[in-house]
Amino acid sequence: MENLTVLPPRGEAGSSRAGTVNAPDVPDLSRRHRIGERTIESGLFIAAAVSILTTIGIVAILLEEALRFFADERVTVVNFLTDTTWQPQANHFGILPLLNATLMITAIALLVAIPLGLASAVFLSEYASPRVRGLLKPALEMLAGVPTVVYGYFALTFVTAILRAVLGKDIVQIYNVASAGLVVGVLITPLIASLSEDALHAVPNSLREAAYGVGATRFETAVKVVLPAALSGVAAALVVAISRAFGETMVVAIAAGAGPKLTWNPFESAETMTGYMVRISGGDLSYESLDYKSIYAIGLVVFAVTLLLNIISQRIVARFREVYE
Amino acid sequence: MSDRPLPTETPPEPAAEQGDRFAALYPSEEGIRAQVARRQRVATGWRVAFLAATSLAVVILSTLLLSIINQSFGLVAEQTDIPEAQLVADHYKSQVLGATNVLLATEDDADIAAGIAADANGIGLLGYAVYADNGAALQALSVDGVAPTAETVATGTYPLTRPLLLYSSAAILSDKPQVAAFLLYTLQHAEEVMSELGAFPADATALAEQAAALATTLGLDPAAPIDPAAYEGDIVISGSSTLNPVTREIARRFRGEGFQGAIKISSVGTVAGFEAFCAESADLVDASRPITTVETAACAANNLTPLSVQVGLDPVVVAVNSANTFAADVNGEQLAALFTTATNWSEVVAGWPADAIHRFLPTTDSGTMDVFVNTVFGGRTLADLPYDALVQIFKANVTAGRCRAIEAEQRFYADSFVCDTEEAFTARCQSDAAPTGCVLEPRDKGSLVALIQADVVNPVVQQAWFLAESLFRREEIMAEARQAYPTADVHFRRWLTLDFLTRPQSSQPELAGVRTAILGSLWVVAIGILVGFPVGVGAAIYLEEYADKRRRFNRFIQTNINNLAGVPSIIYGLLGLTVFVRVLEPITSGAVFGVGDATTANGRTILSAGLTLALLILPVIIISAQEAIKAVPSSLREASLGLGATKWQTIWNHVVPNAIGGIMTGVILAMSRIIGETAPLVVVGASTFITTDPTGPFSKFTTLPTQIFQWTSRPQQTFLLIAGAAIIVLLVLLFILNAFAIYLRNRYARRIG
Repeated sequence: MENLTVLPPRGEAGSSRAGTVNAPDVPDLSRRHRIGERTIESGLFIAAAVSILTTIGIVAILLEEALRFFADERVTVVNFLTDTTWQPQANHFGILPLLNATLMITAIALLVAIPLGLASAVFLSEYASPRVRGLLKPALEMLAGVPTVVYGYFALTFVTAILRAVLGKDIVQIYNVASAGLVVGVLITPLIASLSEDALHAVPNSLREAAYGVGATRFETAVKVVLPAALSGVAAALVVAISRAFGETMVVAIAAGAGPKLTWNPFESAETMTGYMVRISGGDLSYESLDYKSIYAIGLVVFAVTLLLNIISQRIVARFREVYE
Repeated sequence: MSDRPLPTETPPEPAAEQGDRFAALYPSEEGIRAQVARRQRVATGWRVAFLAATSLAVVILSTLLLSIINQSFGLVAEQTDIPEAQLVADHYKSQVLGATNVLLATEDDADIAAGIAADANGIGLLGYAVYADNGAALQALSVDGVAPTAETVATGTYPLTRPLLLYSSAAILSDKPQVAAFLLYTLQHAEEVMSELGAFPADATALAEQAAALATTLGLDPAAPIDPAAYEGDIVISGSSTLNPVTREIARRFRGEGFQGAIKISSVGTVAGFEAFCAESADLVDASRPITTVETAACAANNLTPLSVQVGLDPVVVAVNSANTFAADVNGEQLAALFTTATNWSEVVAGWPADAIHRFLPTTDSGTMDVFVNTVFGGRTLADLPYDALVQIFKANVTAGRCRAIEAEQRFYADSFVCDTEEAFTARCQSDAAPTGCVLEPRDKGSLVALIQADVVNPVVQQAWFLAESLFRREEIMAEARQAYPTADVHFRRWLTLDFLTRPQSSQPELAGVRTAILGSLWVVAIGILVGFPVGVGAAIYLEEYADKRRRFNRFIQTNINNLAGVPSIIYGLLGLTVFVRVLEPITSGAVFGVGDATTANGRTILSAGLTLALLILPVIIISAQEAIKAVPSSLREASLGLGATKWQTIWNHVVPNAIGGIMTGVILAMSRIIGETAPLVVVGASTFITTDPTGPFSKFTTLPTQIFQWTSRPQQTFLLIAGAAIIVLLVLLFILNAFAIYLRNRYARRIG
């Protein structure tokens, strides 16, 4: 075991230098100033700071352009929040029709996605055999990876066609809120299913076994034991899904129609906030025009709402998470 | 003592009471059974419901894919100004008629026969009937080893065979009963007459069926023979010289059986026959080929819907003089040479005499020529024609102004103009400040073919049917389409073809492709990844390896990244529009570097789009790279540090190599996310119509998803169909990327595990 004791420290090679560890000619390497290391660390810090800059950039430009929008004499904040029409030519800048369409689509989407998504999550986590789960979960995740422009095409050419065939062409317009909403629902279903399933799956088996032990059926175990235990994860998934539906752009730009309209009829066309942003920015605009500035004001609303929802979702996870050992 | 008396003070009574309480708490056996049964029913019911919901989600996925495939294939009714096949056939006809030593070009087969009979070096094309009349002086060449005989023609093995048809229209037949009677009489006697004349009648059953069908529509008794004596009025017949002797003989018999009216028959060729018919100056057409879409259109203009019956078959004979001893059998290639490029016989087959070939041909209007060209040069497309011929086709079929405009854009030839004068060329292209049209390389054949497709052929899909209905209702759709679009060509079309992948964007959906969009997508995604990857991985390394999690600022960075991942992508579009397109315009338009041109100077370039997408995928890359780095066991770091490696050496040599699988998977998932990203690119790009390929980071661009979005916003149905085809391309691209990500994950997961 002698050679162990004479190993030189700090990886210096060769046994010839054994025993010379404390000789004065060996510099103390731990004190050496490493410029390279510091530079790299600074570089990596800058990379991490890019994300901060992005956030600052988003907030700053949205605020700045929105302020320029409200600084225009034709626009007032009160008008923006209360006017029920959006007609820039006629100096009507009420966000209500756009907001209403967005909320209608979000609501329809949730009506579809919550039952479908939650039921799928419970089935995959509590009922399906590992083999079925291994097949279905990637399939759902693939569904989540399909570009939204494809869902928009699906809404326009397939769902709208079916709605019109079933309910009649007089009732359902070519561009309508219902088909966009249904398809946004399909779009967020895998999101809810996948995230909720993760949460349900993380509930320890001991809880299930205890439930079975006192005679609960599988359904009772799933709904009365597992679901409450995973509630924070499921709630967070739902909030994320709402945020996603709220900010969804291409489906509504393709299928919901152009032209802001305050309507409660889901079979009529109505433009959403995101749809409006796409339509206006798709044309070549003067950077000084009111139309151009207006998309930032609306963008600010979309950003604020989705950010709020995301923060709520993170808070739910942080605060109500049940930790099992 | 209260507890002592209790047992004694409650003898049987309290016991029963207790039993009741027990019964209340624990239900009877039946009660338990009922409860269990009910709970099990509920559980089963919900189990079915959960299964149904999950299946529904999967069914929706399949429906999505199927509905897109359903729309990308199917029947179409396609209308062209001039069919491509006709342009090609016309070219070869002019080649044949423009060959050397064409001693005769006539509509009359008899003259051709006489010409060949008198010339030992003669060769020509004629109908079988006339050849048979001159049997001794002529001999027929066999084609690919098949000689024209009754048997080879009837079985269809002799390649140069065409149908002999009679055309009329329903309106004429009902207005002029004598014409209907003559047509029916012809069908009833065709077999007899044609066999007598040595011609080839159509199959006897086919003739009988056509006669019966015609008689039924006319309201006559199909079984009864026609009595010519019962009809009066004139009959005007015009058309092919090949069918002429047959029609003449039938007319002779028709008169012989008592027909009182006049029958006027002229032998002017099939083309002229249809012209007369469509101009309403003939009642029946002797045709040696089916009517073309152009002719149908001309007839439709006079409200005539052509209707045809087939009476016979006619082999086109390649005849040589009976004194010709060397030529007996030829193949397609030799036939082509014999009638176009070769001057002497020896050029066709080595060993044949070096004498000049003397050609005796039908005119360009004759059905014989059509059959010959379609058989020998059939299946060729515009791309098979030489460049010069294409230039001539283009020039001949567009207006002079259009031709000049196209030539000013880009020349056909380096040294001269085709559509403009010599002076114009000198003035424009040899000046000091020559416009781009003179500086660019001359057009290549591919772009010229595309130009002819767009300007001359001009295909327009009038209506399209989806795949499912095309398969299940094929017959109905065919009938419907013929009714609605009599001049259109109804055929099955795959919208997703190789051409679709390689053609640039076009304003005509029939000719549009996704090459520009695919290239644009690749450029944008490449820039997005090249920027996003190092920054994202760097940030992840900082957060996992360097950052002190106890510091507020570092925790803020982490929260911030999680929030950024949830920001709708269109907001990133606004960020890109402001920062990259507007503020950094000098850089993103390339002006600072002295590259780029005036058209892209507004900053809406590939670079702007790529940078925007880089910011968009940053959170995705950071979060997945963090997960991968977290998964590297800390024992590895400790071992490395313990051996004296610096922090960076540890990260670079041990942490990153072990996390690289997870990092790469994240990057590829990020890539598949931005390939399908649309909204921010619409905001940043705003390009409406880009037909030129991107040349670098400072080009204007369009991408696959933005292209799909623009096509879906068009009102025409055809644009929706090509959008469907483009979606399939996009999904296939995504599928490949995802499969690659899964492969990487499995491969590296195994190594570390």
